[in-house]
Amino acid sequence: MNLLQNMMLIIGFLLIISGAYCLIRTYHMLKIIIGMEIAMKAVTMFIILAGYISGNMDLAQAFVITVIVIEVVVAVVAAGIAVNLYKKYGSMDIRNLRKLKG
Amino acid sequence: MEAVLYICLGLMFISGVMAVMFRSMIKSAIALAAASAALGVIMYELGGIWAALFEVSVCSGLVTVIFVSAISLSNMDKEELGKVFEDKKRMALLPYILIAAGAVLLAIVLAVGPLLPAVGQVVKPIGDLREILWNNRQADIWGQVIVLVTGAVAVVVLFRERDEI
Repeated sequence: MNLLQNMMLIIGFLLIISGAYCLIRTYHMLKIIIGMEIAMKAVTMFIILAGYISGNMDLAQAFVITVIVIEVVVAVVAAGIAVNLYKKYGSMDIRNLRKLKG
Repeated sequence: MEAVLYICLGLMFISGVMAVMFRSMIKSAIALAAASAALGVIMYELGGIWAALFEVSVCSGLVTVIFVSAISLSNMDKEELGKVFEDKKRMALLPYILIAAGAVLLAIVLAVGPLLPAVGQVVKPIGDLREILWNNRQADIWGQVIVLVTGAVAVVVLFRERDEI
């Protein structure tokens, strides 16, 4: 079982790298949200893994529920901004955000 | 039991990387939902039943619906996406980076030994989930309520139909 935990650790780090790479390399607003979501999935997995190892799964679940609520609200707000960006500029390129004033 | 965990872990990794690498946004959203579902199964297998329920219903369901509605509200097709963002070129390096990082992490695990302690070695459980949520982490509940209200207001403001933005 210890091999599985180490595998989870490695895969979690690789998913965080994927999400961070996506955040750095793309200009598409929705793609950026997806990259952020992927990194947060890895963090959620780490919290559950910590709860499993320590035997405090209930506390870990309380944290995970909080993380999920925040994740969803962030996704909704970012998607709303992306849609408004598209309506204004005809593209979801985040470089257009620099043109906004006021 | 362990085989299910390994399969879901692999599925989550592949779907996660595919969600980042796909050029089509719909495919990305579906891959993200698959990663969430796999994470839900992992949580269930490790004993986090309530967290798994939230993960599958909210992250795999609601977030996918939000993405699909945002994609349908903006009609950028694949050609336009490729032209504007050049995602294929930009993401070409990712597999090599992941292979290199995976090899480094695997080498660290093999050289140093297991990075994590054995199960149940650290502390004792402190109570039931309901007890923790309502007594120990009550501030979190209020924080969640505030965040949800903020999200609801943001949805009303951001998705409002306007003649001119």
